[in-house]
Amino acid sequence: MTEFHEFMVAILRSGTPLVYVTMAGVIAQRAGVWHLGLEGVMIVGACATILGIVLTGSFAAAIVIACVLCVAASVLLWFVIEKLGANPIIAGLGLTGLGIGGTALAVQALFGSLAAVTAPFGVPRLGAAFGPYGALSIFVLMMPFVVWGMWVLLCRTRFGLRLAAAGEHPLAARSVGTDPARVRLIALAAGGVLCAIGGAELAAGGLTIFAQNMTAGRGFMSFAAVIFGAGHPIAAAFAAMFFSLVGVAGIRLQLLFGASIPHDVLLSLPYLATILGVWISGRMRGGAKAATEASELRDY
Amino acid sequence: MSGISIRAGAVVRTLAFIVVALALCGIVFELAGYSALLMLESVVEGAFLRTGGWAQSLRWALPLFITATGVAISFRCGFFNIGAQGQFYVGAICAAFVADVLGGAPAALVLPMTFLAGMAGGALWALWPGYLRLRSGTDEVITTLMGNFIAALALVYVTSGPLKDPSGTGQQAASPLLPAVYRISDSQGISPAIIGIAAAVALAMWVLVNRTPFGMLASLAGRNPTMVRFQGARLWTLGLSSFLISGGLAGLAGTIELLGPTGRIASGFLPGHGFTAVLIALVANLSVLATAVVSMFFGGLASAALYLPILAGLPAAAIDIFNASVALFITAKSGLLDRLLRAARLPT
Repeated sequence: MTEFHEFMVAILRSGTPLVYVTMAGVIAQRAGVWHLGLEGVMIVGACATILGIVLTGSFAAAIVIACVLCVAASVLLWFVIEKLGANPIIAGLGLTGLGIGGTALAVQALFGSLAAVTAPFGVPRLGAAFGPYGALSIFVLMMPFVVWGMWVLLCRTRFGLRLAAAGEHPLAARSVGTDPARVRLIALAAGGVLCAIGGAELAAGGLTIFAQNMTAGRGFMSFAAVIFGAGHPIAAAFAAMFFSLVGVAGIRLQLLFGASIPHDVLLSLPYLATILGVWISGRMRGGAKAATEASELRDY
Repeated sequence: MSGISIRAGAVVRTLAFIVVALALCGIVFELAGYSALLMLESVVEGAFLRTGGWAQSLRWALPLFITATGVAISFRCGFFNIGAQGQFYVGAICAAFVADVLGGAPAALVLPMTFLAGMAGGALWALWPGYLRLRSGTDEVITTLMGNFIAALALVYVTSGPLKDPSGTGQQAASPLLPAVYRISDSQGISPAIIGIAAAVALAMWVLVNRTPFGMLASLAGRNPTMVRFQGARLWTLGLSSFLISGGLAGLAGTIELLGPTGRIASGFLPGHGFTAVLIALVANLSVLATAVVSMFFGGLASAALYLPILAGLPAAAIDIFNASVALFITAKSGLLDRLLRAARLPT
């Protein structure tokens, strides 16, 4: 039984950051933005949380700083895409590079080296009342409610419909008095808060450490979870948990088989699972023909 | 005449956004407590002004140019192949294996085989995203991105396993240094062979893009795939070829790094190569000739990156930040700027 609990703790710990960032991707996707900047916003959240805790000594202050910076980064992306008409894919990748480079620079500027930064404490933990799950952070407990809240917001409210209209048919949205650009701004800003929480959970949920480039593709994986989950909050959350399950299973396999399987092959499992997920969702969506037609829409 | 003014407009637009990116970087650096002006000075000095600066910039520019022309062909065809980094790595890995297996054979045999293996490896790493995209509609942005991560892990595995340098004690896992007979340049990275290869690639790609039906149809396919289908061209063949060419060229660049300046493969070497190549292709607006010029610029930045810690006390990541902010703005179409340009052109 303890084996099982350990396994679940590991999955929840690695999956929760992915789920939060996936939710940010879902809301952006529905508003019509291919959010490839998730990785960059997430690492800003991770870095700001750890540096915030080290500098202010308060978790609340750190998470507020992280949220502000992540929202600012998201708004920058919105401005470039919406107001300057940039290609979302390239601009998103640029934001990702800016996040990874900028956080490395911030660490270097503050501590004089690129070594990992350790904080004295992290996100508040659930505590002994939760038994074997007590070591998890409060964000893990919040996660299902956030996913459910996203579902209500996106699929059961007027705002959710407006958001979907702004994404699917901006002209129609405009004709009923909704400003698609404004809706996207709200969506990206909300996504910034979610990325901040995801980054905070990644850096301070289990460990309390920030290392250069520590997101290691998790933002892109979250984006893939959005695609795999067809932009539906609950489906995308399950997709994100699936990717994390594969990653944890890989680490377990290594414990079982030891040196007979190369370490790096197992590390690549989540990336392979992501490719598989996107492949399946592509097939389900009508294959090559539909993709060709869709790609005409993202011409730059 | 109007063609020239449109092109001039595009150049001005590109330069304007590079200036915007520089300004953004300056703000980031000032916030981080560094002097943006000192950084600019040391970049210019590191890239071009110091003795041998041009040669060093060229050393970085040539592989970047080769990869970037490949990226440009897939972008032209409408495919966002951003997996140049992975294709570069897999090409280098395959080339290193062949050079290792054939070790001891005459260079006249080893070199062609190594080049072949490198290009085939790169092409292979572009083949599967291309195939998945064209056959099942799998989004190539994600598959090529994930391919980058997998290739980086494969490189770690190869350099710390099968091809590990037994004498290596450094922190970075690497393959043994190739013997001098198999090298096409010394560690300075500039030799007639490498310049010749780059010139041949430039010529071949220029002809391919501008003077063949394939280049013409590929560019058309990027703008309007439906129309290309109605013209009777096979989107499948066009798309897959563009993936293979772009992967093969990235693999070629990886082979040049292996046989030329680096002389070995090492885990995580040249981490920003693929992303910079994508940027170069976009800044050059996917044109082969412009790619050559833009490569020189980004090659200069890459070479300056090594001098930043010495001259300005800045981490080499500073260049990554500049590259990333260029990426953020490069595809922007500024209405304001276009209006200004039109106003400036009216009197003539």
